[in-house]
Amino acid sequence: MNEKEFSERIKPWLDRSAAAVGEFQATKLKSARLRAMDAYREPVRLFGLVTVNAGTAQTLHYSVMQRALLFLPIAALLAVLAVKSLEEADLGELDAQLLTQELPPDAFLDQDFRSWLGKPQG
Amino acid sequence: MSDFLASVERRAFKQAVFSVQEEEAALDIVQDSMMRLAEKYSDKPAAELPLLFQRILQNAIRDHFRRSKVRSTWTTLLSNLGMGGDDDDADPLETLEIEDLANVPASPAAQLEQSQVMAAIEDAVKALPERQREAFMLRYWEELDVSETAKVMGCSEGSVKTHCSRATHALAKVLKAKGITL
Repeated sequence: MNEKEFSERIKPWLDRSAAAVGEFQATKLKSARLRAMDAYREPVRLFGLVTVNAGTAQTLHYSVMQRALLFLPIAALLAVLAVKSLEEADLGELDAQLLTQELPPDAFLDQDFRSWLGKPQG
Repeated sequence: MSDFLASVERRAFKQAVFSVQEEEAALDIVQDSMMRLAEKYSDKPAAELPLLFQRILQNAIRDHFRRSKVRSTWTTLLSNLGMGGDDDDADPLETLEIEDLANVPASPAAQLEQSQVMAAIEDAVKALPERQREAFMLRYWEELDVSETAKVMGCSEGSVKTHCSRATHALAKVLKAKGITL
């Protein structure tokens, strides 16, 4: 009998041994499995990206394009914030010029500008 | 995932018991391994789960040994058996008798004999040196190929073959000495 034949003879005995695990241990194993399954979350697949547990994105095996996709929402948010802050900066500069009387006299002759000045500021 | 875990939990438990020889510790090891697989590898295809689970399980067993640092004498029992003896030249695999498992008798006496054989096999497996048992279990019980076994064990394919060969011969020798036919 060679090594392979011998192992093929042993395997059924090992299978029986596993099948003969006591009821107490079997219950504990089942309980452990259920606990593990509580921690398990079905992966969500979107645009080729896969989330692992609680939505944590796994990026380890992703292509450059897939990684870029991950950062798209963040980039969009940053762009919106940047535009908003630029607009606020413009208004702030205008306020500063008004307060320091640095606006050219022509500015007060502009009808639109005067009507804008007349509006109540929020 | 659940079906996979259900299909391997008992074998994993027995593997852990063979290694650590404490049922409570073995249960903890299997539980930790199942938890780790479910938490970390939920996105893996089903085909990859057996190998991943075995890697996690074997690492958990090794961690257990690292933590406890217990040196048991049984790990060298079979190695010691290989030293000296009149019939060392004979290959135990060549002389081991074979019994057809399909004709397993169902009488109480036969069942008793079966349980004794099973216990003897379990004892022999437990008595194997750790690396030999790990290689034998992965290769011949979990049916991983040599390359997969080497990956799980973190050693070369040559080492896997050597461990498996030694384990097989050691088991055959012990079973033959006990007059057990497979």
